[in-house]
Amino acid sequence: MSEPQPRPLRVLVLGDDTYTTSLSRELVPALTDIAEVTFGPADAPPVTDDTTTALVVLVAGPTTRPLDATIAQLDSDPRLADAEVLVLTEFERHDDLGDALDQDRVSAIFALPSTDEALARQTRSHLARWLRTRAPDDPRLQALDVGDRPLELPDSELLRDLEMDDAAVAARLVSALERALGSRPRIIVPAGTRLTQEGRSVDGVLVLLRGSVALERPTRAGPLRLHHASTGPVIGLLALAQQRRAFFTSVATTEAELVHLSIEQLDLAMRTEPEVVAALAAIAIKGLARRLRRAEQLQVERIELNRDLVREREQLTRTLQELEDTRDALVRQTRLASLGELAAGVAHELNNPVAALTRAASYVADDATRLLSGTATELAELVVGARSRLPLTTAQERAFHRQITEAIDDPELARLLVSAGITDVDRARAVVSQIGDQDQLGAAVGLGSALRNLEVASSRIAELVASLRTFARPGAERIDGVDLREVVDDALRLVEHRLDQVAIHREYAPMRPVHGHPAELGQVVTNLLTNAADAMAGRGTMIVRTSMDGDEAVLEVIDDGPGIPADELERLDEPRFTTKQGTVRFGLGLGLSIVRRIIEAHGGRFHLRSQPGRTVAEVRIPTDEVT
Amino acid sequence: MRLAIVIVEDEPGVREALERDLSPLRNTLRVEAASDVDDAVALLAEIAEDGDQLALILADHRLPGRTGVELLIDLHADADTAAVRKVLVTGQADQEDTIRAVNEAGLHHYIAKPWDPAELLTVVRDQLTEFVLEQRLDPLPHLAALDAVRVMPLLRDRGDR
Repeated sequence: MSEPQPRPLRVLVLGDDTYTTSLSRELVPALTDIAEVTFGPADAPPVTDDTTTALVVLVAGPTTRPLDATIAQLDSDPRLADAEVLVLTEFERHDDLGDALDQDRVSAIFALPSTDEALARQTRSHLARWLRTRAPDDPRLQALDVGDRPLELPDSELLRDLEMDDAAVAARLVSALERALGSRPRIIVPAGTRLTQEGRSVDGVLVLLRGSVALERPTRAGPLRLHHASTGPVIGLLALAQQRRAFFTSVATTEAELVHLSIEQLDLAMRTEPEVVAALAAIAIKGLARRLRRAEQLQVERIELNRDLVREREQLTRTLQELEDTRDALVRQTRLASLGELAAGVAHELNNPVAALTRAASYVADDATRLLSGTATELAELVVGARSRLPLTTAQERAFHRQITEAIDDPELARLLVSAGITDVDRARAVVSQIGDQDQLGAAVGLGSALRNLEVASSRIAELVASLRTFARPGAERIDGVDLREVVDDALRLVEHRLDQVAIHREYAPMRPVHGHPAELGQVVTNLLTNAADAMAGRGTMIVRTSMDGDEAVLEVIDDGPGIPADELERLDEPRFTTKQGTVRFGLGLGLSIVRRIIEAHGGRFHLRSQPGRTVAEVRIPTDEVT
Repeated sequence: MRLAIVIVEDEPGVREALERDLSPLRNTLRVEAASDVDDAVALLAEIAEDGDQLALILADHRLPGRTGVELLIDLHADADTAAVRKVLVTGQADQEDTIRAVNEAGLHHYIAKPWDPAELLTVVRDQLTEFVLEQRLDPLPHLAALDAVRVMPLLRDRGDR
């Protein structure tokens, strides 16, 4: 650490030269045994490389103010950066030392003119402290000792006691007490002895010479044992500050050796022996400082704990919300599953009446034709004509009606003829001449039309029932040979009512069947179709496209709605996502998360791309799983 | 001049059933049908051209292209057709559509599918009677399709002239 040949130390006195003579007279002889004192201007300090500058004494004057700037200027010289700075000033006020205090750059401030030898003595002490921290073995330090103790140690009892450890102060206290009071008996107590009890009056103090004591306080969470370090060597001292009531219960945690002092003895000792006062004050200050540090530490911990608590509470709230969402989704799925079972049951039950209806329509047609064919062939032909006529638009019907009305001059009869599929004027005339009875003619046409409507309606019901059964097959096994196009057709039939004003283009390329669950896949397609319809606000053009890409069957549902903004696209998979005010809603209460789940369960992938006017929902399902 | 009823319905079976259920009125009134809104607009022009008077429109809500409610709103906004009685015949109009029909189209009646033929005729007869009373038309040519008791005062008034 220390150099064999220690470099000479230098003390620089810089700045205002008004006091140079008196300072020189005071400082040079006082420091001559350890440092050389050199005077110079602050803006050009006489620093040399062969000495070490330990102290800078800055004399405040017009050339050195503001002092902060001058000190900063000095610090820019690396040879001065390690020097302590003392400020001498004749000014009464300084507002130019903020930075210096902030950076702990000034060690002492003295008023000029100096009135006694304090400056020389304290400069010497600063020099000694500077040297001891940097070179504790430096031989020059010996010159700085006063008697048997280092020069830089404080002279006052209190400051000296404050620098000692607890045991040493306690020992000093006891010896001072014994000087004042005579010998004091030592009292030995076992662990667990209560030395003070909270709330009880304290009639004296105990000086702890050996062992340890802990403090206890009852709290709402049960008795709390405070940290050992909170206890100082004098027990009961704090109670003196509150009507001699003990603030804590203090308990010996080991065997303890104590000296007991009554208040009267303490009073007497303090009056006769000033060292008792200093030692007690030192013990009190040290104890309070320790507790204060501890309290501040606790305050910091409390704030940190609170912050953690808040964070955990937020986390809990989020978790709770997620749980609720999950529960809602489960409830919804359960409801859908039971709806599916219900639909399957209804579909099944509808089969019989539909079959009966379909057959009955066909029988009525046969029977009516047979009934009429013998006697009234013309009427039978009208029934057949009305039953099998080609569909016409209402506008076309009106046009034919106009033509035939002109030919036969009877609008009601003309209407019946058009309904029987007769659009030719000559044929109309012929029929009118064959059948005189307009009522019978009307009945025959009505019968034919009714039969046709019956057949159309029952086959539509049959198709719907078939589609429903595909969809509502809860728990069904996966099957091979599912044609996605059929799934799409079934789904389209079931959600047709939501797509009235949507032009649907089906672009079906040939594709291999997939292995899967028709009802679940149907739910996927239904969701995609209704999502698209919602996004388009029910009108526009939708493209439903199927194709093969390698081994994957690809289904795309493309709508020309306003699209989904990118930031919302990221959140679409979150359960229950909706954008309330407009562009995107998910109908049927089903989120895309269900779509993705089903597709992933089929080993497939789902992807959603969106830009204004074109949103593509793409489903890819591998076909190589066919077994 | 005949009073005309127009049915707007896209499903042929349903359209024909409506037409047939209204056929008792054919001797007195003109009953016409259109399959969508555009066709209905063309039909209304034909009716006007023929010198007949549109009195009642029975429209489905769900139609290909524009909806029945939109048609009714247009008719309501047009001074020539504002007085026409408007009835929605539908199996599927959600609450929002129905509210719009009532608030913006001055909807007079709502018939749910499937309908009861006798009730359909009663509604139509009531609506036609309202139309004749409001327009203070001569009820005599249309009497068979009207509620005779309610139009009686009108007959008396006209007789007084």
